[in-house]
Amino acid sequence: MADLYFSGVDVGSLSTDVSIIDHGGKVLSEIVIPTGVNGSEAAEQAFNAALKLADLTRDSITGITATGYGRASVAFATGKTTEISCHGVGAHHLFPKTGTVIDIGGQDSKVIQIDRQGRMLDFTMNDKCAAGTGRFLEVMANRLDLNLDELSSPLNIEGDSAPISSTCTVFAESEVISLLAKNTPRKEIVHGLQRSIVNRIWSMVTSIGIEGEVTLTGGVAHNKGLVALLEEKLGLTLNIPENPQTVGALGGAHIARRTYQNSLEADSI
Amino acid sequence: MLRFSKHEITINEIIKNMNIPDRSEYLKGLAQTGQKIMGVLPALYPRELLWAFDIHAAEIWDPPGEILHANAHLQTTICPVVKKSLEFILKEPQTINAGYLFPHTCDSLQNLGTQVKDLIGVSLPIYTFYNPKGRFNNTTIKYYQDILINFQSILEASHGPLEPEKLKAACVLSHKIDTYLMVIQQARMTDHLSLSNHEYFTLMRAQEYLLPQDYLSLLEQVNILEKPAEFSRARLMVSGILPPLPEILVFLDELGVSIVADDLLAVSRRIPKFAMDPPGSPLDYLTDRFFVLPPCSTRGGDLDERVHYLSNRLKESKAHGLLFDMVKFCEPELFDHRLLVKTFRERKTPVLTLETELEDHISGQDKTRIEAFTERLFEIVST
Amino acid sequence: MSIRAELKYKIMKDYGAPVLMAFQNVRRRKPRPTPAAFGSPLDSNQRLKEILSRHYFLSRYAPGVKKVAWVTSGAPVELLRAFDFYTIYPENHSALVGAKKQGADYCGIAEGDGFSQDLCSYARIDLGHMLSGKTPAGKLPKPDLLFCSNNICQTVLYWYKAIAHELDIPLIHFDAPFVTTEQTEADINYMAQQLQDMIPILERVSGRVFYLNIFEEILERSMETSKTWGAILDAMKAQPAPMTIFDAFGHLAPIVSLRGLPVAQDYYHILMDEINTRVTQGIGAISDERYRLIWDNIAIWYKVRFLATFFAERKMNFVTATYTNAWAETTGYLDVKDPWRSMAKTYGQIILNNNLKHRLDLMKGMIKTYAVDGMVMHSTRSCKPYSVGQFDLRKAITADLDLPAVILDADIADERVWSEQQIQTRLEAFCETLEGSKYG
Ligand code: SF4
Ligand code: SF4
Repeated sequence: MADLYFSGVDVGSLSTDVSIIDHGGKVLSEIVIPTGVNGSEAAEQAFNAALKLADLTRDSITGITATGYGRASVAFATGKTTEISCHGVGAHHLFPKTGTVIDIGGQDSKVIQIDRQGRMLDFTMNDKCAAGTGRFLEVMANRLDLNLDELSSPLNIEGDSAPISSTCTVFAESEVISLLAKNTPRKEIVHGLQRSIVNRIWSMVTSIGIEGEVTLTGGVAHNKGLVALLEEKLGLTLNIPENPQTVGALGGAHIARRTYQNSLEADSI
Repeated sequence: MLRFSKHEITINEIIKNMNIPDRSEYLKGLAQTGQKIMGVLPALYPRELLWAFDIHAAEIWDPPGEILHANAHLQTTICPVVKKSLEFILKEPQTINAGYLFPHTCDSLQNLGTQVKDLIGVSLPIYTFYNPKGRFNNTTIKYYQDILINFQSILEASHGPLEPEKLKAACVLSHKIDTYLMVIQQARMTDHLSLSNHEYFTLMRAQEYLLPQDYLSLLEQVNILEKPAEFSRARLMVSGILPPLPEILVFLDELGVSIVADDLLAVSRRIPKFAMDPPGSPLDYLTDRFFVLPPCSTRGGDLDERVHYLSNRLKESKAHGLLFDMVKFCEPELFDHRLLVKTFRERKTPVLTLETELEDHISGQDKTRIEAFTERLFEIVST
Repeated sequence: MSIRAELKYKIMKDYGAPVLMAFQNVRRRKPRPTPAAFGSPLDSNQRLKEILSRHYFLSRYAPGVKKVAWVTSGAPVELLRAFDFYTIYPENHSALVGAKKQGADYCGIAEGDGFSQDLCSYARIDLGHMLSGKTPAGKLPKPDLLFCSNNICQTVLYWYKAIAHELDIPLIHFDAPFVTTEQTEADINYMAQQLQDMIPILERVSGRVFYLNIFEEILERSMETSKTWGAILDAMKAQPAPMTIFDAFGHLAPIVSLRGLPVAQDYYHILMDEINTRVTQGIGAISDERYRLIWDNIAIWYKVRFLATFFAERKMNFVTATYTNAWAETTGYLDVKDPWRSMAKTYGQIILNNNLKHRLDLMKGMIKTYAVDGMVMHSTRSCKPYSVGQFDLRKAITADLDLPAVILDADIADERVWSEQQIQTRLEAFCETLEGSKYG
């Protein structure tokens, strides 16, 4: 068989991610760039960069799945699938025993239940409010004059945390302001914020239930403090992918691969 | 705006093709002829009694337009049905000339009725109609009859004595409409209706504002296929208060998902569960009709009964999944929702919950939800 | 019914509970110091604590001895008492959880199980309790029966339906038609008939026979208790008022949840005596009462102390509230000689089941008779029947009576619904207007 390659292009609200795999599923390249204002341009750019990294040309890619918010704007895609299915498939390929995927993305967080083949069985997403998403952390980081990395500093779970009870970003922001006014140490506020996100995620998880291993995807998976808190709250160890941001793109690439294989089977009948 | 123009064209065309007049145009026309028109809020009321007094019931569920003035009267945590209705009433629309009727449906509507009547004040009379709650027995039946009689005398006070023949005729008309609707519902479940989601619900919702005779003639024109149409599409049942937003209906049409059954307060929950005998005594007929409506959260009905009813509908319609389209802040629905979702999830029925504030457009997030859910439905269809 | 359980219950009732109470007294010997803005606390507080702790404590020995019923605050509980049910009031329990600032925890449990965050927090807390067994009251017995009336809201019906289904126990619902203008004969007959229809079911569940004379006795007692409660509230007309409405929120518990029992009857006599003494001696609840306020809607349980202090420090005292008044307002309709119909009138016309014209008139009357200078309305996210219409009530009242008013957006028991900065600003602005209006 000639060499076949597949790609997934995930145009998210914050970043655009591309993954290229070969027909055996081996990852050849992964790229993450900021989406900026123009999703289709970002897709174009990221895809070219990924091709270059894998040392491939455009024609050599057999199937391309577009996913993410901007999935409709990826002109060169051969198919499109929601990021929900893609995260499920991606997580499945990285950690085959995954039953539950928690994805904390920029605009929204989701909890996805998948079966042993990586097919999505059920999912839930946060409601309109940004609390419990990457965006929430970003707003708060601004308030605290911290950059996102500082916000993610690993914390001692036992440490004090300032109480942030509000579940709404706007309310939480005003709580943070009044905590700052009271000279509450930033570390405690950060801890409190992480706890509030974790509570939010936890209630989404409980509404769906946990099956199998749990894999965490999305940029927030880099946030060590948050991961530790989440693990404590769920009482288990999370699978953390090496590149948590590209799991959706990876899933997309696998879906393109599967679609191609299915079409071969259909032809041979 | 531009992004959705395609949908808007589609919607208007559909209405044109099916010859269903536009709601506000139609009502304006009617009002000009001197027709008495009463604005009726959700959800259950004895329409036949109004008809017998030559009053046309124009239902108010989700009038279009932005919510502005209502915000000065209602908290942010009140459901959009209540808010939009109030916004509409505050505009004092010319089409409504015979007053407003507030059936007792939920706490919010209960209070809105007295708020409009006793605090805000409008120039038209305000009527109320209590719908008994909980489990029903002889005591409830007796009381429901008393309520009907009371309501009748209240209407008589401002519209003259009731002519019994007219009430009888109204019941016959209502019975005919019910019968048609049941046939159409059945046809929908068994693919004997070649209507898109959007067309189907436009048809069902036309009863909210068409004169009963006009609605009946519309129903008579509905083409029921002799053989089931070939559908390889995913089949869906929806539950909630109102049909999903037009944009969602069109979107589902595009995705190849067909809504084959519903458990919507505005639609199915107002159609009797089974065929009723033609009306004899109007009072008995009206009473019986109230008690043979499908189980409904707003009547405080039994949960088991509701689960049972929903599973039967799912089976009958061979739906692959269940969509709950929940109106934000709607307590009656949200309480039942938890058990319904739990039950059907356990039975491995794909379930999706959307939350709507009856906005004009669907959010990107909801689109993703619907698409992902559809991906799952098609997995099931293909296996 | 097992003899052992009965014996245990009796022993606990006669000996265990008193010991526990004595023990608690020892533990509580050092009370929190009262801020200077307040006068000395009521002696009755101690007795109140005892009664409530005893009630919750004894409940755990009830199973096997008495049937346990969960009851809504507006339900005609007298009927249940005739069958000797041990009654638990989930609303009261949820308020307790809220006051301990644990509301969000319990709500979270219910939310995790699929109940929406937009539902009444009393319901969510109670469902959280039901699902987890958690309670700050030690341990609560599972119910054998649920008894609810939609005369306070339809919410309780939806909520109790959910419990009935989960625990697979009977639910008795008392349907109270909303009063849009006035109660009709049909309404009264309907309610009276429902009450009588309940008797066979209650006999079956409780295994006891209904005796009219026992029922009448209970009704009599309940009536007398409500009247005493009404008289206590009336005494707040005195200037300075002998207690604050925040005290009354606490002293409300027996009339809500022990109504019809001798313990509640006795308690209010004790409280009444103390209040009367204060009035005669001119003792006020706050050190220097300059402004008198009315409170509308249920308490913000997790902020009672904050609010009490905030106002007391500004020499402002809440002297009346629509909420505390609810358990006295319609007692006048009760008539032991005509129990069923008079209960229909009493329970059918309580404030939350009555139209807003009635509420407006009632509030205006209270403002006048209690010489009120300002109004604080709690717009509560949880409660539609109490909150929908408040904006226009406020408008009508301020326009008619030229009374400063403020609306606080908060919740009864979910402490996540609270923005201290926003509230503080609003309250301060309100106080400024008030001070300006009275002496400006
Ligand atoms: S949507 Fe729900 S809350 Fe709103 S009016 Fe209808 S039943 Fe009441
Ligand atoms: S707070 Fe309001 S909605 Fe909740 S139980 Fe009480 S009356 Fe009902």
